Amino acid sequence: MDLAKMSHPNKLCLCKWYFKAGFALLPFLWAINSIWFFKEAFYKPPFEEQKDIKKFVVLSAVGTLVWIIIVIGWVLTFQLNRAKWGEFADDISFIIPLGRP
Amino acid sequence: MFKYNVVQVLLFLMLIFTGIDCQRAKDKMYENIKTSAACFRKMNATHQTGCTSAPSGSTGVVHVIESQKDLNFLLENGTAPPYIPIMPVSLFRHEIMHVLKNSNKISGLIVFKQNFSSLTHYTHDLKCPNELSNIEGTCKHQWNEYGTGLLFEDYPFPIFYLDNDSYVQKIVDCFKKFNDFDYSSQYERSLCSLELTSFMFATTDTPTCMRRSNSKNNLNPVKFCDPMGDKNVFASLFPLENTTDSTDKKYIVVASRMDTTSFFNDVYPGAINPVTSLVTLLSTANLLKKMLPENNNFDKNVLFVVFSGETYDYIGSQRMVYDMQQGVFPVPFDASVQNPVPQIRLEDIGLYVELNQLSKAKEIVAHTLIEDRELANFVTMLRNYNPNVNLKFSKGLLPPCSLHSFLKEKPDFRGLVLTDHQIGYSNHFYNSIYDTVENIDYYYYNVTPENTSNIPKDSIQAYVANISTMISKALYESVTGNKYNNSNLYADIVLVDELFSCYLTNPNCKVHKAIQKNEFAEEPLSLYVGVPVAPNLIRSLIGLTLGWLTGNVYELKDNKTCTNDPKTPAFQYFHMSKSLQDLNNTVCYQTTMNFSEAVSPAFIIPDYDWRSGKYSSWTESTWRDFNVRMYLQPSPAHEKFTIALGSITFILSLILIYFVKSRSNILFPAPPPECAPTNC
Repeated sequence: MDLAKMSHPNKLCLCKWYFKAGFALLPFLWAINSIWFFKEAFYKPPFEEQKDIKKFVVLSAVGTLVWIIIVIGWVLTFQLNRAKWGEFADDISFIIPLGRP
Repeated sequence: MFKYNVVQVLLFLMLIFTGIDCQRAKDKMYENIKTSAACFRKMNATHQTGCTSAPSGSTGVVHVIESQKDLNFLLENGTAPPYIPIMPVSLFRHEIMHVLKNSNKISGLIVFKQNFSSLTHYTHDLKCPNELSNIEGTCKHQWNEYGTGLLFEDYPFPIFYLDNDSYVQKIVDCFKKFNDFDYSSQYERSLCSLELTSFMFATTDTPTCMRRSNSKNNLNPVKFCDPMGDKNVFASLFPLENTTDSTDKKYIVVASRMDTTSFFNDVYPGAINPVTSLVTLLSTANLLKKMLPENNNFDKNVLFVVFSGETYDYIGSQRMVYDMQQGVFPVPFDASVQNPVPQIRLEDIGLYVELNQLSKAKEIVAHTLIEDRELANFVTMLRNYNPNVNLKFSKGLLPPCSLHSFLKEKPDFRGLVLTDHQIGYSNHFYNSIYDTVENIDYYYYNVTPENTSNIPKDSIQAYVANISTMISKALYESVTGNKYNNSNLYADIVLVDELFSCYLTNPNCKVHKAIQKNEFAEEPLSLYVGVPVAPNLIRSLIGLTLGWLTGNVYELKDNKTCTNDPKTPAFQYFHMSKSLQDLNNTVCYQTTMNFSEAVSPAFIIPDYDWRSGKYSSWTESTWRDFNVRMYLQPSPAHEKFTIALGSITFILSLILIYFVKSRSNILFPAPPPECAPTNC
């Protein structure tokens, strides 16, 4: 889809839809939304729906950030404690590295 | 046309100068050193032991060490770490290994062979082998006095053993040429280096690696480790018949072991332990069979057992005891079998005689843990049959041996161990790469029954034959209740001579030719227990040999074939040579020999509690390959120049591409005007 060829109400509709869908545990949708509509929200000359688009872009970016913090926090916790957690850590692993405790 | 010719000529010239020498760059850079004698990782219920390299190999600068002084010099003055020292085996000692382990300048180690005569002792097992599986209190003495325990430590770097002098010389030459001068500026130079690869998949301990090997969630299922173990070999003197009264004690077990270990893969000579005791057992079986060819309603039978995996906390004997307790020894009871064999339980064993390390020593010692009149009687019998042997009787202190597995489950179990030592092992090379033919002074005499006098009276062959004669006669008296009177019958020294050569020097020996048809490589077969997934040749050969020596010739008449028909677990049938002197003449043997599992009960008991320490828990890590190669590491200046050159080329090409793209209209004609879409 080429945003340049879309009408403003359609853009808002799309941005809002991406934002809502992101709640289904789809942080990548939020990340894409915030990047894709960034120019529309902040750089394009003002238009009627811009304020709403701006809102969804900011909210999507915040959601992405929260997700990044959660994911990095989990990865760190898991990697640092994998050996200590023993059986539990092995049970929730899909790939067990060779030659590491 | 002219241009085309020039190109052709140029191509032809290129082929002349480059095409003929088509060695790959990799092969020009590296000098491969062929050895598979690496230290590898083993685990028990709580620890990991052995070595591993980094996943793609550990690299380091070569440094030759000939004394502890050289090592200290390296650790203080080496300016180009990490290093891979190369040193003679005599330096492979506790204190030096600890310095190496705790230094962060070391990334690997190579140990090279020295003459046997230059060493006084060399053993890396514990001072009390199998300490945790022995009866409490028996480890007060240091049985293996010189044991360093290095075999059971964990090393953060790979270790390899080199017995090939030419490779050692190559490494030393390379070291002298590039490394061995001006140490303060070493870090600025191009240096001779090594890459050691022996990456181990498993870590931590047995419960961890077994759990990971069986993980169902793992997307890429890998086997991290295998339980150690193999199969025990056993054979009865008389066929196992199904008698109804099972209360009477009716078996005399004569046992020894078949495995050894050492620090390095594929170097498992095991001359004193286990070969001397194994050969004594086989020779005893042979002689006793000659004395008692038929069962004349004796109420006792003799069971010859060769345990496997005893080096690693008595795997074989623990499993046999467990099987006896479960009532599945020798085979699980099967009502559908026509001729079932009787179950043998611990209570059915009236006497247990173990042979453990029988090298030429001043004395033989019979060790027992409990006071028992029948055991004392047996020792008296042994003494009576050979007054020339200095036989000591030691009560209350049991050396590490398979008998511990039996006594742990049945404290009044009547057993004794015959060894060559009273307190400290007379074998100063116990479970090491130096427990070789030189350790027992063995020389192969290749005799026939007519010229047995060629074998000196003070040879290991004569000694073993003498002891097995004594044991056979005492066993005869125990079975029959009568004294043995035929003083002319001796153990077959030709057989003893051959058996030693089978296990220590040449697996294509006459005995192996008599029992089967395969040809083997001209080097001794491995006496390491290994893992059940890898076939263990030596165990099969020991089994066939025991079967051959205790079997009966089976007459093939009335359309009988040399097969198990009617099927019974009591017998196995093999075509084997009639005798050592008549290898080509084969007959059918009916043997009572069979194999029983020798994998620790810990791996078959569901939800076994690893922390209990009741059974052996040893596993061996899996690995991809062992590899050693030498190369010349470029100097840091050279390395920096290469990376700088590469980076500059990369950046220049980016700039070039940018300009080419921005001025592409000069190179390419402008594209035709695009048709605008009509509807968007």
